[in-house]
Amino acid sequence: MATVSGEALRVMTADAAGEALVIEPDGQVLPADRQVLLLPSALDRTSGRRRREVVVDGWRFEVDVEPDRRARLREQAARASGHAAQDGRLEIRAVIPGRVVAVAVNPGDRVEAAGQLLVVEAMKMQNEIRAPRAGTVAKVAVGAGQNVELRDLLIVLE
Amino acid sequence: MRKDAPPFRRILIANRGEIAVRIIRACRDLGVEAVSVYSDADASAAHVRMADSSVRLGPPPPAESYLRIDAIVEAAVSSGAEAVHPGYGFLAERAAFAGAVEAAGLVFIGPRPAAIEALGDKLRARRLAREVGVPTVPGTLEPAPVDRPDQVDAIIEVARGVGFPLLVKAAAGGGGRGMRRVTSERELPAALAAGSHEALSAFGDGTVYIEREISPARHVEVQLLGDSTGRVVAIGERDCSLQRRHQKLVEEAPAPGLTPARRRKLHAMAAQLGTAAGLSNAATCEFLLAPDGSFAFLEVNTRLQVEHGVTELVTGLDIVAEQLSLAAGRPLSGAVLAAAERAADPGRHTIEVRLSAEDPARDFAPTPGTVRRWRMPSGPGVRVDTAISEGDRVPPDYDNLIAKLMVDGSDRDQAIDRLRRALDEAEIGGVQTTLPFHRFVARSSAFRAAELSTGWVEQHWDGATDRERARGVALLAVALADRGESDNLARPGTDGLASPTPRAGAGGWRRAALDAEVDRWPR
Repeated sequence: MATVSGEALRVMTADAAGEALVIEPDGQVLPADRQVLLLPSALDRTSGRRRREVVVDGWRFEVDVEPDRRARLREQAARASGHAAQDGRLEIRAVIPGRVVAVAVNPGDRVEAAGQLLVVEAMKMQNEIRAPRAGTVAKVAVGAGQNVELRDLLIVLE
Repeated sequence: MRKDAPPFRRILIANRGEIAVRIIRACRDLGVEAVSVYSDADASAAHVRMADSSVRLGPPPPAESYLRIDAIVEAAVSSGAEAVHPGYGFLAERAAFAGAVEAAGLVFIGPRPAAIEALGDKLRARRLAREVGVPTVPGTLEPAPVDRPDQVDAIIEVARGVGFPLLVKAAAGGGGRGMRRVTSERELPAALAAGSHEALSAFGDGTVYIEREISPARHVEVQLLGDSTGRVVAIGERDCSLQRRHQKLVEEAPAPGLTPARRRKLHAMAAQLGTAAGLSNAATCEFLLAPDGSFAFLEVNTRLQVEHGVTELVTGLDIVAEQLSLAAGRPLSGAVLAAAERAADPGRHTIEVRLSAEDPARDFAPTPGTVRRWRMPSGPGVRVDTAISEGDRVPPDYDNLIAKLMVDGSDRDQAIDRLRRALDEAEIGGVQTTLPFHRFVARSSAFRAAELSTGWVEQHWDGATDRERARGVALLAVALADRGESDNLARPGTDGLASPTPRAGAGGWRRAALDAEVDRWPR
């Protein structure tokens, strides 16, 4: 039986969907009947976390991993800085490469939460990008007809 | 020395991706030079690397590249090609394209423009089927009135006769576009308008009609080949029932559960329709198989199908090579006629799964990106048609099919066993694909029992749950790797994680994971 040695680790999928898993030392074992493919990891320079791609039975996950101790410290720091994220600058980036087919807002526009911002077309499908919260459009970084790559800046909300 | 002279000296392939590569391979086998065309998104793609020469068409959007009739005909003429193969999709079923190729003095590798035009209009095809006595899905044979308040009562009366639920379909349609499901009279006028509007923007033709929804049903289609003398033969059928959004996911040949006698009857109906329509070269006649065992004609595709490979594995034919030979004016070959003789009782079974860059946990939404890992299976009974190599980008501009995995066996059970094994060998990273869905199909007892229908995916597949089960394992695996436990991972059976089961013995991934650490860790 192989287990994780050393200190407790926190692992979670990079899109923050689902709960993080905290793995205690000597805690858990991997089932043997799964097809698991680990791809080379990359260090995310802004967060200091290591991000890995892992494919299990054909399902692809991007996973962030860091010591649980450090994750707790980070969360405390985030709580201390209060609600900055609620009314601070929010960058909206492309979650899929594609082509911008329509932009619904201009700089200075006030948008409500879930208000339409723009439409990105990828592989014949139109993806509506909506405001994650209310705010004022500080910047529109793309125009209709423009191609965008994954994580390109689209719109800044303030 | 080749037995026959090449059908052409040089042809142009007006397509991209796996189908362009597939056609280039047939050209190589026949001694025909292949000219490819490409958009800026495909400048270093496989179909460009493999062709004898290539011509740039324009920027990535299809309307500025692969849909440009003028640029493609010009490329064919200037490159000295004698014929043009359209592949599937893009311009393959545009009569105007076939006509432009012929007007330039070149051969279009496919049915004649008049047949493409007649059968591309599904209403005309339905009328033709009715004329020659081939049963059609109940519905209208003339265009339905759209946005005509004065005719609402009349069309509702017609719809009552057809029966609910029914489908509004586009006469120029395909791939489910322009289609609306209607469950009550009240919804009909709006569905006609919406379907017509979508059809107009997708195909430039807003004509719609009404057809009864046959559900559950199986989708069964017959592969036809015809020569310039007007002779048309059926070389076998395929079951393509597993679909989502009217796009096929899994195809197999022959269709399970049909007796040779019923198969013969189905093939005869398709060949009769093909003959009446003046079909030549390759085309496919699609039918719905209702639970009561009756067949109803759906539509004809006047081109090579994506899933032509399953028929090739069952019959031993190279359908693309036969297309070239037929386009050169040669009669149906002896091999084709022999396959047509055996078609009712082929004695082999083939299954194809379409590996697409789509997320099967999110309603098969597209997932373009860069393929960071790409290992395809091989071994007995396995064929992979793809244009992808590791490091390639799946562009967002085009269809998201990245590989067709085919397996064949002496019977359906052996084919399913091989499908399961082959899918276990496949390793894909960097983009989410339909691989988990296909692994599920290969293990499904319903699929094994040939319980097939066009509603199969909705009925059996719960992608979100399947993914969630894998998620915990993913997190554990990453934690182990982070702690350098991949040493343990690489040695199953000692103090490795895995008990020494056969799966654990297939420790390839574990060793591969370790190799990845050593070889490719970014410095």
